[in-house]
Amino acid sequence: MRSAARTALLALACAAMAGPFLWMAATSLMGQLEVFSPGRILPASPLWSNYPEALTSQPFARYFLNSLVFAVAVVAGQVATATAAGYAFARLRFPGRDRIFMVFLATMMVPVVVVLIPRFLMIDAVGWIDSYQGLISTELVSVWGIFLMRQYFRTLPRDLEDAARVDGAGHWRIFWSVALPLAKPAVATLGLFAFVDAWKNLLWPLLVTRSMEMRVVEVGIAAFHSTYEINWPYQMAAGVVAVLPIALLFLFTQRYFVRGIQLEGIR
Amino acid sequence: MNGPVERARHRRGRTPLPAIAAAATALGLAASLAVAANAVGNARDRATGNDARMAAALWELPGAGAQAVAQFLGNRVAIQAAEAGGRGPGEYGYEAGALDPVVWIAIDPEPASPSWPAGATVPALLAVLLMAAWATRRRHHPPPPRYPATTSILTAALLALVAVAAARWADLELEDLSAAHVSHALDAASIASATGATPATAARVAGLPWATATALDRPDQLWTMPREVARAITALPPDLRAAGAYTIQANGATYHAAHATLPTASGAAPPPTTLHLAFLGYQETAAPTIPLAATTTATILALNLILFLLPLSARPRTLRRTLAAWSFLAPAATLLLLFTFGPLLFSLWISLHEWHLVDPAHPFTGLDNYRDILLDATWWSAIRNTAVFTLHVPAAMAVALALALLTQGSRRAIRWARLALFLPGITSVVAIAVVWKWLLNDGYGVVNQALARVGIGPVAWLTSPDTALPSLMLISVWMVVGYQMVVFQAGLAAIPRDWYDAARVDGAGPLQRFRHITLPGLRHTLFFVLVTSVIGSFQVFGLVYVMTEGGPLGATDVAVYHIYREAWEFLRFGNAAAMSWILFAVVFAATWLHFRLLEGRRDERRAYA
Repeated sequence: MRSAARTALLALACAAMAGPFLWMAATSLMGQLEVFSPGRILPASPLWSNYPEALTSQPFARYFLNSLVFAVAVVAGQVATATAAGYAFARLRFPGRDRIFMVFLATMMVPVVVVLIPRFLMIDAVGWIDSYQGLISTELVSVWGIFLMRQYFRTLPRDLEDAARVDGAGHWRIFWSVALPLAKPAVATLGLFAFVDAWKNLLWPLLVTRSMEMRVVEVGIAAFHSTYEINWPYQMAAGVVAVLPIALLFLFTQRYFVRGIQLEGIR
Repeated sequence: MNGPVERARHRRGRTPLPAIAAAATALGLAASLAVAANAVGNARDRATGNDARMAAALWELPGAGAQAVAQFLGNRVAIQAAEAGGRGPGEYGYEAGALDPVVWIAIDPEPASPSWPAGATVPALLAVLLMAAWATRRRHHPPPPRYPATTSILTAALLALVAVAAARWADLELEDLSAAHVSHALDAASIASATGATPATAARVAGLPWATATALDRPDQLWTMPREVARAITALPPDLRAAGAYTIQANGATYHAAHATLPTASGAAPPPTTLHLAFLGYQETAAPTIPLAATTTATILALNLILFLLPLSARPRTLRRTLAAWSFLAPAATLLLLFTFGPLLFSLWISLHEWHLVDPAHPFTGLDNYRDILLDATWWSAIRNTAVFTLHVPAAMAVALALALLTQGSRRAIRWARLALFLPGITSVVAIAVVWKWLLNDGYGVVNQALARVGIGPVAWLTSPDTALPSLMLISVWMVVGYQMVVFQAGLAAIPRDWYDAARVDGAGPLQRFRHITLPGLRHTLFFVLVTSVIGSFQVFGLVYVMTEGGPLGATDVAVYHIYREAWEFLRFGNAAAMSWILFAVVFAATWLHFRLLEGRRDERRAYA
């Protein structure tokens, strides 16, 4: 009985959470005027042509390519910088280690908007506005990622490293062939979060890109929204296409997401 | 460990680095402030002296006398016979002795503007001394090897900032004095020429280099001026010269100058005489502050590096390990330095200037931007909206905790619920915003249609100032609840089951178990979620950008959106940078408050343990 009530409550919550997405999918298949007829929940007959029409009205393929390039580069950069720094903070002893780590962590408190203007001026000064390198270069390090990797490296047993050290391996060798292979799950988590964060980053791409050719998906959909203000089916079709990759990614990798959250939550 | 010998060794072994750094910083600060204040003070003395000299010249002019002096200086002047006491202490004056009787013209000094470098010297020194005292305080344990540079880089940066700001302040003050002097000289010259003096005499009264219109083509005749300045003046287009007071850039400084066409005495003799006035700028007085600050900063840093490397090189293993560690840290540290710490200081710098994206000139304006913003009602309304928006965090946490408790203990339920609950938090914010804009559409949105079925009239979710912000808060709850739930699930899993069983045996009901086991067990998790969510919610942008654009009537104008518009719509970067620093201060204060509250609780718990 109590179990049934619990299941019902949970189902209700899930419906509330999933409802907007389902409604988005339903609207995306309706006719342009059909959406305004009251009481309509499902399309009379699914209008699949909305998708090709919406997606070709602006260069969405290019937007997706840009988002992909941006996100993949950010993932590569953040994994490289965070694994190395996290390893140093977790496994090496050097003067001031904890204090430097605290200084790194403190930057998580800085609202991005504070550094946005200087970053923009710096990127502008080297002429990287509206280019991939301008888009990517400021996003290559994640303090959250460093923290995550440090937490993970600390949980690894020391014996393996000691064995490698007895064999005469240096710090980089141990990092590369002992610690990093063991940290694959954490690297996967970091990579996924970096990918998702880059994918939904709106503000920085909005500022640093100008031409349509350099727009990412988020900026593209925002621009699409203001151009096709009342054409709801088109907008919903674009929305579905933007949400789908992340939804699929999450469906297959959710345990890494959850592991990441748990690693950061428990200290 | 606590024997007297060991203690003595620790005391001897401890390098008094922080003390040295603090002393050097104090000296540098005091020196740069003193240089700046001294430069301004000298210039002010000189300006008053110039006024006195001009007044004396007017006094001596036949047909001018006391009346002309009074006209020139208004109530700033006191004329008295030199024999009758004259020369009071600290008075500026000039003896007009060529005529009888010898008089003493005493002048009130130029009104001083609030001079913060001089006023700031004492508090700055005090702060540095306190820092030194703190740095050298007795420790119970020998300090571990550390970077003396970490503290002193900060103090050195502070020193450089203060010194540069002091130099800029001096520049501004001198510029004011310079402009004031030019206008005084113009006054003196025109008063003199009104009493019938020839232009040459008028120029002498004004104490200025001058030339007739014809001599303008021969810079060498402008003999009192530096050659560069004279060249710059003759190079000016004639229409600009005719415009009266103007500034010119020469010799790396700003000069204030003026042209005046003086009426000839009888009004008869052509050609009208042009008087060229120029007064030296400020470059020779304030400029030394910046090299001084740079040298001091560099010395402190070099000293620190040496004092850090010296003891370390005696321990090769530590040195090797440190270098290895920094090879790991280098990429992240470089990027952070370049794109986080550097920009932080840079944005502070921008916030002290009037900085437009399209205007290459960025005049220093001190704290003017901050003053303007603090008086700006729209900014305060943006801050208030942000604070109200943040109230969605506790609501979301309550829902998330309830969901986490619902799914507690059932693995399958967790897994299935997770996908639906989590998706809003990780997917495209813009897409979500667009969907909700459609859902909450006034006339055709599904939410209002459903409400109409049960007889509730259409709600203007996003189009009324009263409901727009609450609507965004509701959507935000919907977005973050899944993420928070997963964190709470992890926290709940870490609470030992035995505790619940033991409580049940003791007869504790569900509410009591929640109150005495779940909540205390989740304390750290709750704190973590609260802090990160509050920091995040202070930075909300995407929802507002897509859904309401800050409207209706500014009801959803939140801080980051306000800053975004200030910078990229109105192109006022200086203002925007100042706003972002105010936002940073607010976030910092909020986080610090959270930490303080948690620390307090932790002490309390330790007392019980």
